[in-house]
Amino acid sequence: MKEKLKTALGLYAYFFRIGWFIFGGGWNIVAQIQKDFVEKQNKLTGQELLDIVSVGRSMPGTMIGNVAYLFGYHQCGAAGGVLAVLGIITPPMIILSVVTVFYRAVRDNPYVARVLNGVRAAVCPIILAAVLKLQKTSSPLPRPVFWAVVGAACVASFAFDISSVLIVAAGVLMGLIYHLMKRRAGT
Amino acid sequence: MIGTLLALFWSFCKIGFTSFGGMSMIPLINSEMVSHGWMNAMEVTDIVAIAEMTPGPLGLNCATFAGIRVAGILGALSANLGVLAPTFTICAAAAVFFEKFKNGAVLTHIMVLVRPVCIGLIWGVIVTLARTNYIAGGAIQPDSVIIGLLCAYLVVGRGWSVPKVIGVAAVLGIVLCPAV
Repeated sequence: MKEKLKTALGLYAYFFRIGWFIFGGGWNIVAQIQKDFVEKQNKLTGQELLDIVSVGRSMPGTMIGNVAYLFGYHQCGAAGGVLAVLGIITPPMIILSVVTVFYRAVRDNPYVARVLNGVRAAVCPIILAAVLKLQKTSSPLPRPVFWAVVGAACVASFAFDISSVLIVAAGVLMGLIYHLMKRRAGT
Repeated sequence: MIGTLLALFWSFCKIGFTSFGGMSMIPLINSEMVSHGWMNAMEVTDIVAIAEMTPGPLGLNCATFAGIRVAGILGALSANLGVLAPTFTICAAAAVFFEKFKNGAVLTHIMVLVRPVCIGLIWGVIVTLARTNYIAGGAIQPDSVIIGLLCAYLVVGRGWSVPKVIGVAAVLGIVLCPAV
């Protein structure tokens, strides 16, 4: 129990630390979790992170709140989930409270705009680094099939602007078909 | 006061439950704020601009901004809890379900296909963000591209940590980006 509480508080502290750097709709946080927990600490596999992101992205609400909850829950149950979410929302709340009060000064400050321009330019490479690692996670699918699914999901989301909930649902459907094929083959 | 806090919570609950992140929240935020008389349409545009330029997810940023304006810090808290309501209910239920059945044959096989879908979605995010971050008004922004390439080298090639790269990008933004 004491050990669990310590882990849950550690999750709050971790998410509080990274909560100051949420850019690009929170996708750089996924990259951060990949780097810290998959690569450095081995507390999570790449597959588990992809599962968390798939579930979090297809639930209503903010993606990053869902991802924080699922990750915290995976690490140490409901308490971990709640504390991870509270941790990640504290910094944006502090920043926004300050910004709301000084709204016009912040909006019209040229340095703020330039800093944000620079940071926005860094978001794509950060997410890129994470996805390059994540797509190496092992899959029982033959490589061409794997890449065809990746390509189809990518094109569906950016070229046809189909909601990611529907795209994940299509993935679930394909998974069910895969399951039936496996069962028929008796494996 | 309590009434206002509950109304804020309930409004942002509706916003949270009916949206799946990002821009999809804006129309509902607009109608909720205007119909309660909390803000006019002009101020809603302000919220979106401010929520876009500050770090943090759009929905939570809008909740804090609207909450503070309507009822101070407590207002911000109720609005944030409203946006997070789906996380603490639906997503929490999904977490229990997922952990319980993830080793079963059906869910294992489903995830074999969902994982590449998820990777495809992340690539989709990269393409979409690249379009808005490196191209403005139909023209490629050379300063952003240079920062992007340099950061790609640091984070992919040299394996730098995320906050460090963001710090470098912020400094480069001041140095390279033209005054707006």
